[in-house]
Amino acid sequence: MEATIALLLDTANFTLALLLVTLGLVVIFGLMNVINMAHGEFFLIGAYVVVAVSNATGSFWLGLLLAPAVLAVVGLLVEWLIIRHIYHRFIDTILATWGLSLVIKQGVVVLFGPGAQSVPNPIPAAVDVFGVQYPAYRLFIMALSAALALATYYLFFRTRLGLQIRGVIANRAMAASLGINTRRMDRATFAVGSALAGFAGAVMAPIMSVDPQMGVGFLIPSFLSVLVGGVNSLVGALIGSGVIGGATTIFSAGISQADAQILVFLLAMIIIRFLPNGITGGRK
Amino acid sequence: MSEPNGPILQLAGVTKRFGGLVVLDGLDLTLPKGAMQCILGPNGCGKTTLFNVVTGEFPPDGGEVRLGGRNVAGLSPHRISRLGVARKFQVPGVYPELSVAENIEIPLAAGAGRYGPLSLLGYRPDAARRDRLLDLCGLAGKAGEKVGEIAHGEKQRLEIAMLLARDAELILLDEPTAGMSGAETSAVASLIRRLRDEEGKSILVIEHDMNFVRQLECPIIVMVRGKIIAEGRYEEVSRDPRVIESYLGKRH
Repeated sequence: MEATIALLLDTANFTLALLLVTLGLVVIFGLMNVINMAHGEFFLIGAYVVVAVSNATGSFWLGLLLAPAVLAVVGLLVEWLIIRHIYHRFIDTILATWGLSLVIKQGVVVLFGPGAQSVPNPIPAAVDVFGVQYPAYRLFIMALSAALALATYYLFFRTRLGLQIRGVIANRAMAASLGINTRRMDRATFAVGSALAGFAGAVMAPIMSVDPQMGVGFLIPSFLSVLVGGVNSLVGALIGSGVIGGATTIFSAGISQADAQILVFLLAMIIIRFLPNGITGGRK
Repeated sequence: MSEPNGPILQLAGVTKRFGGLVVLDGLDLTLPKGAMQCILGPNGCGKTTLFNVVTGEFPPDGGEVRLGGRNVAGLSPHRISRLGVARKFQVPGVYPELSVAENIEIPLAAGAGRYGPLSLLGYRPDAARRDRLLDLCGLAGKAGEKVGEIAHGEKQRLEIAMLLARDAELILLDEPTAGMSGAETSAVASLIRRLRDEEGKSILVIEHDMNFVRQLECPIIVMVRGKIIAEGRYEEVSRDPRVIESYLGKRH
């Protein structure tokens, strides 16, 4: 029983962190039709902001606050320097952002070295959850991730800005002719998506090994989540993250990490075989 | 937007080329405020390009596009839109995934002022205005329906309602009755006449359907190969030999 509860908590934890990365990917793809291969590296930068700020000031929390702000600026710069010039050319955006991801990864190696860094757990206490002693920091991650996911939903579905971003996603030419500055919406969305990935990297840093490869470890499951849940849907991102995050932690509990990965890929393939547009896309 | 009774839109010598192809060839056109004109012409004569140049989709290669006296050639589409120009696309530019009401709320939101921190607070659309527009365009009672599921003619009228939500003074309509039945066409013709007569809008219409053009009761401009070859009332234009030869076809 206790093992089950611990497993459920771990599943929720991974799913919610994955959701933040996936949401960023979905809003950027949905709005600009850009597959951002460097999204995992935005996660990576988020984690290293925490490493750098913790080393310099001793404060994890300052790093956690700064990471999304740094990534919003990085997102704006990447959009301005690279994406806006090529976003009509789908394949080129994949190549360009992949190249960017290599540059970021090597940049991190140059600055911090190839080895793993560690960030001390900022809330070392444990909390009793239905008889299970569970790390308080992991509960904090869950609460914060859930709150941010809700805030993203609110931004897109309850605000004037969100309504207009959805208008641009659905029909760019019409949105411009209705007086919406579509370029500004692109920039805002890229910054928000990047900040979400950076925040996820920062908040996960204390419970992961922070190394230059950690971005890939999140990029692949978040791509799978997008495909499984359905492109162009925030609810799809939630469902996809639940399926992929849940399957990953549940399979990893019983078998080796590598075998679990194979099963997760198989599961994703089966779902996409029968629902090519993802779970929210329906059968078409 | 302009001094009373002055022209709302004035094109002077507007030229647009795509590679070696001259699509608009030194075009002159004047639309008085509160008036309606209809542009007729064969496919490929430059009608839609003319709209694209006015809305800023493409900058002209030469000439001036004056809105209420101001040259707007080269401004981006959203800026020209904010000067009071709204355009209806040939394929309805409505949002099929959203409800009828939400479709109207997007342009209402776009016109609701600048973005500050306040734009992140919950947004309450102007429901009274939205409902008045739906009513005007004959869509009352459809507010909650998903746009992908309403009739084609209703989508066309919804798009017109969306343009009105932008407070546009100059409305450009690109084949507003494409794909409509006869009854739907008459409903749209009467809606467009109301926009001119009761709402005081200035309107430019591109159309193929001669029956619809007659129902609009407005002056007609005939374009062929990027130039205006005839202007006048329906009865005059339809008897003009140049128009018959190049557009309507000769009767044998």
